[in-house]
Amino acid sequence: MDDAAFSKLAEDYGARLYSVALRLLGNPADAEDAVQRALLKSFVARNSYSPKWAVSTWIYRILTNVCIDELRRRRPTDDLASAPAHPSSAPAIGARVDLSRALAAVPREARVLIALHYVDGLSHRELADIRGISVNTVKSQLARGKAILRAALERGPHGPARRPAR
Amino acid sequence: MDQLDDLLADYFQPALAPAGLADRLTWSRPRAGRGLMDAGATGQLAADVARFHIEANDRGVRRITYGPGGDETTRIGARHATQAREELAEYLAGLRTFFAVPLDLTGIGDFQASVLREAARIPYGLTTSYAELARRIGRPQASRAVGNALGANPVPVLVPCHRIIRGDGSWGHYAFGAPMKTALLTLERATPLLVGCATTRIVCRRGCRHERRMKESSRVVFASVSDARSVGYRPCTVCKARET
Repeated sequence: MDDAAFSKLAEDYGARLYSVALRLLGNPADAEDAVQRALLKSFVARNSYSPKWAVSTWIYRILTNVCIDELRRRRPTDDLASAPAHPSSAPAIGARVDLSRALAAVPREARVLIALHYVDGLSHRELADIRGISVNTVKSQLARGKAILRAALERGPHGPARRPAR
Repeated sequence: MDQLDDLLADYFQPALAPAGLADRLTWSRPRAGRGLMDAGATGQLAADVARFHIEANDRGVRRITYGPGGDETTRIGARHATQAREELAEYLAGLRTFFAVPLDLTGIGDFQASVLREAARIPYGLTTSYAELARRIGRPQASRAVGNALGANPVPVLVPCHRIIRGDGSWGHYAFGAPMKTALLTLERATPLLVGCATTRIVCRRGCRHERRMKESSRVVFASVSDARSVGYRPCTVCKARET
């Protein structure tokens, strides 16, 4: 991968990676930093790329690895739950706040899978490859995460927490 | 699609990239002399290991200083010094996140020992304040004394006193100088701690001999051992990856 290839990678994937990183990390500065680091790591590890992978899956794995290590350094409530409200969804802000609060109750791995699945429409197979888990684990994690979300949303903001955020 | 799917799709809808993102990303590509912890920066840090002066006895490493002069060791202590130097070189190259070399901290006072013990518990890549460390050892009024105890840390880096910073976010004193503290914290920020192997489903601390054998394409980073367990990974029994 030369300079031109690196530039193309940044152009082709920069915006999509940013979108995912923003939803995982919750703030623009950290998201841009994570994308930069992921692109640099992909450049350094370019020889490890295997054609059996889609380039997008490979680079999403690298980005997710960077974002998850960043989440490790945060207090439990600082990550996804603090994702900023999207300006176009002003009428639904109440629902977004509830959802944001409910997401804090979902275990981190399931939360990351939910974010990857809904931000970029990644398939179960792609999610499995990105996180190094089986498709069945992806399905069960998504189902479990959504069950926790449903319960938290039904309970409302003032109900007792059924499980602590991690 | 049920209602929750709609809510999630709306909540996680793709964000617009900020203006000029592609240009900034392209500009960040690795070049000689710049880049986030690029080969040049880690290479410089790794080269610094030759400047460490290590004192070790039969029980372990007693002191690390920075400057000229050979190591001072007993015959068995030479093994500890060699191990310390190897581990430090790996750490400074971003290949290791923990130290296994034994330390010999006999002869230091109880207070300093408790400060160093608590400092050693701060996970790789995280920082805490002098005041918080004072609170953790049950002496909340003693943050200045904690700073002094850390300043007299005989084994910097091995006991990570660089992970303690001032409450206002500034670095504070560091035995090897502020630039070194910046370099170490930057290195730790760019290096993952827990790495899982997608083929064996085992999670190791970076630096474990099993972690080194993982293929690049099999590496999956986890934020905690319990996260890894939640998706079917188990902690390595060799490096004893544990809750962080």
